[in-house]
Amino acid sequence: MNTGDRAQIRLLWGAAAVVVVVVVFTLSFKQSTGLQWILSGLTVGSIYALVAMGFSVIYSSTRVINFAQGEFTMLGGMLMFTLCTRGGLPLWLGFLLTVAIVTVLGAGFERLAIHPLKDQSVITIIIVTIGLAIFIRATAKWIWGTDPVKVASFTGDKPLRFFGASIVPQSLWVFGLTLVAVVMVFLFFNRTLLGKGMRAAADNPDAASLVGISASTSSLVAWSLAAALGAAAGAVIAPINFAAYDAGAMLGLKGFSAAVLGGLGSAPGAVVGGLMLGVLEMITAGFAPSGYKDAVAFLILILVLLVRPQGLLGRPEEVKV
Amino acid sequence: MDRQLARPGDADRRNYRTLAIVAAFILILPAWAKFIPGDVLHIDIVNIMVLAGIYACVVVGLNLLVGYAGQISLGHAAFFGIGAYTTAILCTRLHWFPTWLGVIAGAALAGAIGWLVGKPVLRLKGHYLAMATLGLGEIAFILFQQLKGLTGGTVGIMDIPPLSILGLKFDSDLKFYFLVWVIVIALMLLTINLIRSRVGRGLRALHSSEVAADAMGVNTSRYKVQVFVLSAAFAGLGGALFAHFQKYINPESFVIAVSIMFITMVVVGGMGNIWGALIGVLLLTFLPSVIQALPQWIPGLPSALQNFSNYELILYGLLLILFMMFLPKGVADGLGRAADYSEVRARHLRDRRRAKKLEGH
Repeated sequence: MNTGDRAQIRLLWGAAAVVVVVVVFTLSFKQSTGLQWILSGLTVGSIYALVAMGFSVIYSSTRVINFAQGEFTMLGGMLMFTLCTRGGLPLWLGFLLTVAIVTVLGAGFERLAIHPLKDQSVITIIIVTIGLAIFIRATAKWIWGTDPVKVASFTGDKPLRFFGASIVPQSLWVFGLTLVAVVMVFLFFNRTLLGKGMRAAADNPDAASLVGISASTSSLVAWSLAAALGAAAGAVIAPINFAAYDAGAMLGLKGFSAAVLGGLGSAPGAVVGGLMLGVLEMITAGFAPSGYKDAVAFLILILVLLVRPQGLLGRPEEVKV
Repeated sequence: MDRQLARPGDADRRNYRTLAIVAAFILILPAWAKFIPGDVLHIDIVNIMVLAGIYACVVVGLNLLVGYAGQISLGHAAFFGIGAYTTAILCTRLHWFPTWLGVIAGAALAGAIGWLVGKPVLRLKGHYLAMATLGLGEIAFILFQQLKGLTGGTVGIMDIPPLSILGLKFDSDLKFYFLVWVIVIALMLLTINLIRSRVGRGLRALHSSEVAADAMGVNTSRYKVQVFVLSAAFAGLGGALFAHFQKYINPESFVIAVSIMFITMVVVGGMGNIWGALIGVLLLTFLPSVIQALPQWIPGLPSALQNFSNYELILYGLLLILFMMFLPKGVADGLGRAADYSEVRARHLRDRRRAKKLEGH
């Protein structure tokens, strides 16, 4: 274990301590209402974390910020509505089909529009993803209309009681998916040859290609994975949030914030960032006028960045001279 | 700026020449628009040109920041909004307040706030800077919505008086058109002179390598903040003009999507190219109206296609992708290369003519 990892772990404990203090303070002050805020915060935070992981996957293999990540999530929710609620497919089949369709879309877009630009600057590619986001949103509006749609919960709507607070069963699905996703993404990037190669390709494409790692494959895999993650997230959260054609912008913004807060390119960072952002938002919404909750969340985010410019679990970018 | 075979001074001379051509074009455009009235094209050219001029104020400054200093901002709609709200509040609350002073106050306040937030935030780099500026933009938007006593909340501020300077009232589209574009040309002139000055060289050094620039004695952090303040003030100026032109503002005009539109204009036009900002603005301001008017240009179109406005954003997104795929360095770069090519070719032809003449003797 090198010093970077040790510093990361120290920070993780530090962040955990801060969260524990905030949580204990809220609980002792508001008890069951406070617990309700925290549970809602964790649910919302898991949603942010799932979207954030999509950002992280593409960033850690290509250094691109994909502004269409939120749209993949939106598509996941809308496709679940079409396949399961309208089409009457069984849940598991609808879920798999949704993920498959969006993955193919993500991979196709990478081949058509991102791959030809492989020698261009990152900002050019970012503008292309903005174009994609506008395109997907407008197409979704054309297909599904402007009214939000309701997707049925996976296992009923009867809230579970938990120390005086309540939680919908769908939240447990969201927690579960977040846990599975973070473990899988972490293992993929740290334990598999392909995943490690993809990180290498992002660090130094020329050196990576000299040892036989293809930056082109790396980018394709990253986009497919991010699209799959986004779709899965959208499918699972659709019963909690209403699914609508314009949900992607907001999800993308919060997901990006969570990814940066946790440290871009780190899957555990995405989860820590997402959960922190969600809980902070719900607690500030409890104490302050609700209109200001996003402002407070962003203010905290900026302050964290000023203290730690590379995010909570991110590594500082090395400067080449 | 590796213009092949260009001679020193060529770029400056070409810039001034282009600016003169642009100014002449601006002058005759309204007359030209008279010949092709709006109800033939289904586009109100003068009206859209005013909006383009207002956006150009913002984008010229943003291009300095992004294209020359290499610092990204995804929050310039905030400064645009600060400029708009400053003059709107001053001129509607204090009826004696001169509107031209309101515009100056808007630009000044936007610059001052730019300095306040720029100083800490510009220590961040790359995507983290993008995130921080995005957050600032969102905070500003929320404040515009929530400070109801000051900004009128989601309803906004109505009945903003028209701009008047020295008794001259800019109360029609055409008058405002000339005012806005005179301002834009002045800002362009300022920019051209700035980038060929010591500051401009420092900025370009900063863009290519911050470490190297530091080592050569360029005060990088001060330059970054200065350019940020300048671009914030330009954006505030644009916002103040926007308020007086629309006569009505609400927070919807200053959402994050607007910040992203500004950055998109910079990149589509061509980063680090002063004409890029102008081209990007004109292209992306006209594009939605052209797409909307498109079906009406073709007579006898089936009614399903006549209702084309439904597909407007689909086409817009698609065109944005295609532009970046085929002109990844921006439209201005493509045009610049074409101009270079024709210049080199002309020189080549002249040389060949001379050689032939010599052979003849």
